Amino acid sequence: MSVQLLIGTDKGAFLCRSDSARRNWKIEGPHYKGWKVTAAERTADGGWLLGTASYVYGAAIHAGRDVANLKQVGGTPRYEESLKRPLTEIWRIVAARDGACYAGVMEAGLFRSSDGGERWSPVDGLNEHPSRAKWQPGNGGLCAHSILADPKNSRRIWCGISAVGVWRSDDGGDRWRACNAGVPAALEDKDFPEIGFCVHALQADPAAPERIWRQDHLGMFRSTDAGASWERIENGLPSRFGFPLGRSRSDGTLYAVPLESDEYRFPKDGRLSVCRSRNDGQSWEAADRGLPQTCYANVLRGAMDTDGLNPCGVYFGTTAGDVFASPDGGDSWTALPARLPRVLCVRAATD
Amino acid sequence: MARVEVQLPSVFTPIVAGRLTFSLEAESLRGAWQALRRERPEVGLHLFDESGALRRHVLCFHNDRNSRWLDGEDAPLRDGDTLLFMQAVSGG
Repeated sequence: MSVQLLIGTDKGAFLCRSDSARRNWKIEGPHYKGWKVTAAERTADGGWLLGTASYVYGAAIHAGRDVANLKQVGGTPRYEESLKRPLTEIWRIVAARDGACYAGVMEAGLFRSSDGGERWSPVDGLNEHPSRAKWQPGNGGLCAHSILADPKNSRRIWCGISAVGVWRSDDGGDRWRACNAGVPAALEDKDFPEIGFCVHALQADPAAPERIWRQDHLGMFRSTDAGASWERIENGLPSRFGFPLGRSRSDGTLYAVPLESDEYRFPKDGRLSVCRSRNDGQSWEAADRGLPQTCYANVLRGAMDTDGLNPCGVYFGTTAGDVFASPDGGDSWTALPARLPRVLCVRAATD
Repeated sequence: MARVEVQLPSVFTPIVAGRLTFSLEAESLRGAWQALRRERPEVGLHLFDESGALRRHVLCFHNDRNSRWLDGEDAPLRDGDTLLFMQAVSGG
């Protein structure tokens, strides 16, 4: 068994490989040198889908088995010219269990591919929602960044948009309902009170997809009814604010990286800490052995992932370019032997 | 129709498998840009925006002249001309 970490940065992608011990890592790259690598996903057939972007040259998706030789797909996501709506970055790519792939983009929108990522079509039911004119961007822009696909019901999809909220479709993407009850609004809208919520990250239980966890701008939340309602789960967290949310694929442990408020956006007192919950968010504990105690870098929402091994491997990268790995579910951490550009996304895969 | 050489910046290496220079046929600058979008869509996506215009921070030099300073996109092309695309320094 080997583990691969695809690390997307501001200046390219790096592929890190290790064996199942996950103690020693070989790092190759940069691939897509000079391009922001904003999203990465491993498909069921062992291929990779990468989202790249450039301030100058725009965004695209690339596909293939060898990260060093991916091919830009022919039908990369784009809005219809008549909309005059730019598509500047791919924020999230998700390969669903039924073979469909989803891409969340900025300006916010959702695209779907039914051919493994070669051609993408807009999910107009969400992208052209009647409330769209009132959608407001978060600090990172107006972006669709979190996607959940129900592994038991291919017609059910969730999409998180900042600073709009969480949406759910039960009919394959034609109609969408807002799923934010119980979460405070960040930017309340008088015409569309169902929008104005600043979701940061989502995780779901594949065995019971109605159980969803949400790192929000205004706290940590859990839903047991597919997003219809939310309750706070912050017992033990040093701060409600943070971006990434990870979940072990083997035992369901949750991982968060609390930051000191939206004003500061760095670890509280400079102590980089992962918080872990082994009881579905009921309580949290610090899991920071080996992490630096003087760190004022951020961890972005896409920059954390777990592998499928047991004990669970947990990985995250910082805006300062450090990448930390835990081969034991967060009991201990080591830094990968490299300082990379600003880390935008981390995706773990096993072979 | 004139056969002109298109030169791309090195950051395009993974997009075009390292072949940063290629030729195409067109009568005018506008025709060359249309041909680029039509014949090399994987490249055109990055040079032109959703309205079909040259992206805001992309420069196109026709021989040694910035296309934005030429007499519009009707500037005629001649055999052997070069179209060099590069990133503007806007933004520092």
